[in-house]
Amino acid sequence: MPNGFELLQSLINGLGVGLVYGLIAIGFCVIYNASGIVNFAQGVFVMLGGMFAHTLLTRLGLPMLAAAVISIVLVAMVGVLVQVLVINPMWQRKAPLFAIILATLAVQLLIEQIVILTLGDQPRTYPEFTLGGPLKLGPIAIGYQLFWILGCGAVMVVALQLFFNRTRVGRALRACSQNREAAALLGIPVASMLMLSFALSAALGAAAGILITPTQYTAYSVDGPFGINGFIAAIIGGFGSAPAALVGGTLLGVVQAGAIVFFGAGYKNVVALTILLIVLLFFPNGLFGGWGKRV
Amino acid sequence: MALLEVRGLTKRFDGLVANSDIDLDVPEGSLFAVIGPNGAGKTTFFNMISGFLQPTSGTIAFAGVQITNLRQDRIAAMGLVRTFQLVQLFGGMSVAENVEVGCHLATKGGIGAALVRPPWFRHQEADVRAKALELLDFVGLGVQAEQEATLLPYGQQRLLEVARALAAKPRLLLLDEPAAGLNAHETEVLADIIQRVNRQNITVILIEHDVALVTRIAHRIAVLDFGRKITEGTPDEIKRHPEVIAAYLGTEEAAHA
Amino acid sequence: MTLRAIISTKLGAYGYFAIALAVAIALLFAWVFFKGGYLLTVLQLAMIYGVFCVGLNFFMGYTGQASFGQNAFAAIGGYGSAILTVQYGWEPILALVVSMAVAGVAAVVVGYPTLRLRGHYLAMATFALGLITYDVSVQWTDLTQGYMGYSGIPPLGIGPFTVEDDKLKLVCLAVILALGVWVSSRLRHSRFGRALRAISSTELGAAALGIRVSRYKLLAFIIAALYASAAGSLFAHTVGFISPEVFGLQMVVVTFTMLYVGGIGTVLGPAIGAVIASLLPEVVRSTGRFQDIAYAAVLILMLIFVPKGLSTLASIGRRRPIKAGAEG
Repeated sequence: MPNGFELLQSLINGLGVGLVYGLIAIGFCVIYNASGIVNFAQGVFVMLGGMFAHTLLTRLGLPMLAAAVISIVLVAMVGVLVQVLVINPMWQRKAPLFAIILATLAVQLLIEQIVILTLGDQPRTYPEFTLGGPLKLGPIAIGYQLFWILGCGAVMVVALQLFFNRTRVGRALRACSQNREAAALLGIPVASMLMLSFALSAALGAAAGILITPTQYTAYSVDGPFGINGFIAAIIGGFGSAPAALVGGTLLGVVQAGAIVFFGAGYKNVVALTILLIVLLFFPNGLFGGWGKRV
Repeated sequence: MALLEVRGLTKRFDGLVANSDIDLDVPEGSLFAVIGPNGAGKTTFFNMISGFLQPTSGTIAFAGVQITNLRQDRIAAMGLVRTFQLVQLFGGMSVAENVEVGCHLATKGGIGAALVRPPWFRHQEADVRAKALELLDFVGLGVQAEQEATLLPYGQQRLLEVARALAAKPRLLLLDEPAAGLNAHETEVLADIIQRVNRQNITVILIEHDVALVTRIAHRIAVLDFGRKITEGTPDEIKRHPEVIAAYLGTEEAAHA
Repeated sequence: MTLRAIISTKLGAYGYFAIALAVAIALLFAWVFFKGGYLLTVLQLAMIYGVFCVGLNFFMGYTGQASFGQNAFAAIGGYGSAILTVQYGWEPILALVVSMAVAGVAAVVVGYPTLRLRGHYLAMATFALGLITYDVSVQWTDLTQGYMGYSGIPPLGIGPFTVEDDKLKLVCLAVILALGVWVSSRLRHSRFGRALRAISSTELGAAALGIRVSRYKLLAFIIAALYASAAGSLFAHTVGFISPEVFGLQMVVVTFTMLYVGGIGTVLGPAIGAVIASLLPEVVRSTGRFQDIAYAAVLILMLIFVPKGLSTLASIGRRRPIKAGAEG
């Protein structure tokens, strides 16, 4: 039986991972709310964020901030490409829902393989943004990266809220999510809005990947788990608001961390997927019911 | 005893009352109509009777058996079959196949029979095809049997839905606005079909907008407005009823009448 | 009746296309049979994937539901066969049948709650099932031997007769696939199949005609699981080796590609798709990585430009003309 400190330590570790799941979940929601599509390839953006940042750091020797910003921009461009080349043509042809889901899965496989061919299949990581640490509180150690995740996560969520509520473009995007036909009639360029939603979503995913990589590792294959866990977080949060998604992610991360203590690391995805099935079957509107639906 | 007995049927959606305390008796063999302006709660009423919506309170009895809260397919299996205001044809299937699906309740046999194809099953399949053609002839779609169903003109789609419902051998047929979107000629054809169906001793309840059609063919009419049944009677009584005139023509004219 | 008349009444306007395709596939078989070697293995796997796809077609094609987790049932079949034959020395045939039964029961247990979901939720829930199975097959090393997998799985056979020769294996697998297609055809053209196809179009309309929608969905799911399990077992007995990777995400994407290439919802489409999509990487003639890229790229292009696959060119699963049936 693990002692209390061990458990507490893993829960704190789970908090960081959970916040990252939350950021990915927000990415899911941004696309879903704009287009009604669940992009199963969301994890790809997380993976690419970490891989690009690593490449820029190690091969080009860029400073962390520059590497992060360039990576985010590059991944956002990948997001736009996916939308323009794959999603939009299908959407225009009114392809059935599961065909689009399937296409996003195929995109994931395709990008994974391209990454293997160009960047290799070996796992890699880079140092935390602030060296030193961890912060010791008695037997509990808190890595500095957790504070970066907390801080950046908070900044991004606040920025998103401001964007959606205070800017013209943000409000136009919200209008699209409520009623695409009406938005089009109002002169909002719906097609550009969908591109924007993919760019935004990809950027969020990339940021999440860049933030989490120092605490674990990145490789071509991390997209699957991150995508799924982000989706689970979105489901827990009810696919509505950014804060609900963030709370959903945090819950998932913490529960998963607890599960690792009790069942071992190998079963962490099994636990997460089981949570997904339970939420899907018993709380189809998310754990927060009605209020989660409102943006 | 009436074939369909509805008592105190009420449906609320989030505080909005769609149906309020409706009582209705539909005698066996009758051609009954439910009319009312848009938003009067007619389709909600139908959806509850056919099991597609759960009532908030009240009871529905069909042929003396309680069917309140039963599943749609169980209700259909008892002989209460409906059509839809928005046609629900099976795309990717031919006109004849649509009617063949309608024979589901009147036939039997699952996976085992489909694999082994014993003689009775082959006979049944042949009967199903013959029955489908017969019903298509009945509604005047015999020529189109092999066409893709969803490519039919709208009026014919409605007739196909009626034929398909008849294949289920209903005791009570619920028709949800069958004349919506039909032109005058198509409406005539439909009225004739409904009357012929009724003469085969199938009880019919018809939701309709077209008051002229209803008062011409229905034996008895109930009027809904704002979710309540305001009156019920023979077509002549309904035509003279002040509240009906008010509901349909607006209160101003009613005051003059 | 002349041959020509038979073709046109039995298969309609697409008769010649179907015949051409059948001849092409027969020639291919003959050629591979004569030439032997690596292509034999490719076609063996095509037959096995074909069995999987014909089953998946019940749920996705006929019934119009999405399952992204059918690989879970293939894993049950594969591991069931491997464990029962290698660890307990069972007869392969018996192991195959018992594994199918286990997969069927699993499909009931899993499908009963899950199939209430729709759209994205159903897709994700089934996807989760596949991933859970993958993780369990990696982690539960006592049962599955983890990444190592099982090797030395005996070939199929009855009593003293075992199918060891590669050519004979291919013939057996082709016969099994043909049987699977025959079952699919019989079920499609029946009261059962009509109910499934009605559900795929409108559940409301189907329910109003007395079709028990949830029951039929579950039945289609179970049938798909039985086929998938059989395919998993056949893989184990044909290749002699299985590991978690065999039943991973790749399997989902590959089988979907086959389903779309051949034509989802038709009788022969899934089998034809399995053959074509299996040969595809051989045409590209490259190694592993490019093969996956080719699959993914072809799938995406198909989904965009020909979403119904070759069925738009040849809907071979069409019903007979109505006159023929009405006479009987």
